[in-house]
Amino acid sequence: MSTRHVSIVPGLAPAAVEYVRAREWRMACERQSGAGGRFCGLFAGRGPMGLQANCVFAHADQDHVVCASAPGGEIDTIVDLFAAAEWDEREAHDCYGLRFDGHEPLRSLIDHPAEPDAWTVPIHGHDAYRVAVGPIHAGVIESGHFLFAVVGERILHLDLRLFYKHRGLQIAAEGRSLAEGLRHVQRVCGACAVTNTVAYAQACESALGFTPDRQLRQARTLLLELERLYNHLNDISAICAGVGFAPGATAFAGFKERAQRLNQRLSGHRFLFDTVALGASTLRIGQADALAAREELAALHQEEGRVWRELQFAASLQDRLDGVGALTRADAERLGATGPVARATGLRHDTRSESPRLAYRSFTPATLLRATGDVSARLNVRQIELEQTFAILDQLLSSRVTPGGVKPGGAEPGDFKPGDAALTGLGVARVESPRGETVCVVKTDRRAVERLHLRTGSYANWPVLVCATRDNLLPDFPLINKSFELCYACVDR
Amino acid sequence: MFVLLRHLGRVRREIALPRAQRCGSLALRHVDAGSCNGCEHELAASANPYYDLQRHGLGIVASPRHADVLLVTGQITTRMVDPLRRAYDAMPEPRLVAALGDCAIGHNTLGDPAQLAGPLEGILPVSLRIPGCPPTPQQIADALVDLMLSSRSSKIARCGCP
Repeated sequence: MSTRHVSIVPGLAPAAVEYVRAREWRMACERQSGAGGRFCGLFAGRGPMGLQANCVFAHADQDHVVCASAPGGEIDTIVDLFAAAEWDEREAHDCYGLRFDGHEPLRSLIDHPAEPDAWTVPIHGHDAYRVAVGPIHAGVIESGHFLFAVVGERILHLDLRLFYKHRGLQIAAEGRSLAEGLRHVQRVCGACAVTNTVAYAQACESALGFTPDRQLRQARTLLLELERLYNHLNDISAICAGVGFAPGATAFAGFKERAQRLNQRLSGHRFLFDTVALGASTLRIGQADALAAREELAALHQEEGRVWRELQFAASLQDRLDGVGALTRADAERLGATGPVARATGLRHDTRSESPRLAYRSFTPATLLRATGDVSARLNVRQIELEQTFAILDQLLSSRVTPGGVKPGGAEPGDFKPGDAALTGLGVARVESPRGETVCVVKTDRRAVERLHLRTGSYANWPVLVCATRDNLLPDFPLINKSFELCYACVDR
Repeated sequence: MFVLLRHLGRVRREIALPRAQRCGSLALRHVDAGSCNGCEHELAASANPYYDLQRHGLGIVASPRHADVLLVTGQITTRMVDPLRRAYDAMPEPRLVAALGDCAIGHNTLGDPAQLAGPLEGILPVSLRIPGCPPTPQQIADALVDLMLSSRSSKIARCGCP
């Protein structure tokens, strides 16, 4: 067992990598969680000694990756220690053939076997029946299949079959240059394009031992918040549409359009595509443009606030939200829920408050007075986050935005030197997307991508959705689904 | 509710969309065959008050059985080929297929070739291509309105005017 320790500014250190034997794997993971580490994803890969299992843990000061070789293609499961590892282990098995001893039954996730037993939870008893939906849905929605087990109108269980849009983007990026890898990550999801590319760029920079300068931090934070703005406006519109409250849905769709037009004016693209580069930012916003953007944001903020207050008194909307799709705080924590979904249950975690590579100074996660964990709470937490986003954007646009770059090493003297981190060639980055924490791991091999793993906020939250739908009415599912508003593209990759 | 409706009325007045040429209608069905969700966002946005696709008689319907046009987005994955064909087979004649966005047209596709089924043209007969990554709601609306006007002669658009 070998561990590398670097003493540094909290969060700026490259991830510590710990290599353990297969039989020490479970113990090493247990030790991490005992030391306060938060499970952030598991992925398989190929190492010099055959298949390899890797597990990422987030710590306040330095992220930690536990790696273990599995020469026989089998390793102990950790799903009993971290329930959030369920999908990760199933994916590692489907993509790499890595078996997890003790994970029974190890149902397929990415593969689509014809027989239902291979991917569904069996349902026994009288009166239970199945309702199948998708992969093509009735609205303008992404493709994915839901299989409900129902008694009467009550949902017993939901089996998800996603990955209809599995494009193999991660595998396709392997062996390519880091810059080409960025293009692949950009293509993963349109609505989370900035988050995914910033996470990838940060992981690469961390692996190579660079830290962003002030301008780069400012530019990336601005782009991330512009992305959050139009996504949250879209999500509030979607919840209104989910209950058939057309005036609210239309008003917020209009706000989203204004936010996207602002994106177009500031960055040249309505979804901020191609605005993130490795180790640099070319975004340039002059004083006059920044001022105009601030005025537009202030006007948007005021009108949005006025319509939001109206929604509070719209009984036909509010009466549908309370107690629907409720998630307890304990379940959210156990299943590794993240983002607004987790904060709606009272969990106080937001990766923005631990992002030294971005310009969030003294950020405090949104909290609700009544963190009920239901659709109503998920709607309200988004409004609080919108207020935060408007404030951050106003502050970031109070000065002009100029091109930025990276500098070697950490922010303080005495930090690690460039090349130091390149010894491991492994970069880990965590960035808060509109849907939760996105974790990106990049293994570099002489400035090429050896292994890329992207675990988005949506990936973490899909299994949580299954938990939140249990015991709810089947006709309420579209509303619960919209209150999560998860990406399929981010998961299918 | 009054403030909300007044807000929506004011938004409509400020946008001041030109009067639509009402010359029939087309029912649209969308299938995501492997997109990044960008095209879906923009297609949905084309129904917002700034573009209001429905005023032209263009509406998105829930089933391919009710549709005249199949809008396909994304680079076609192997897993979506079968659902896509079944959606097309469910459509009544006459029917059209439109490739929405660069991916569906076959431009700059990325990904593992083992997971991709190639461009849409090799799977279904494509009669309209709407380029862009993603195409803006205005481009989508313009292309579909042109399609409706040009397909009147081919009796696809249900014509309501002499």
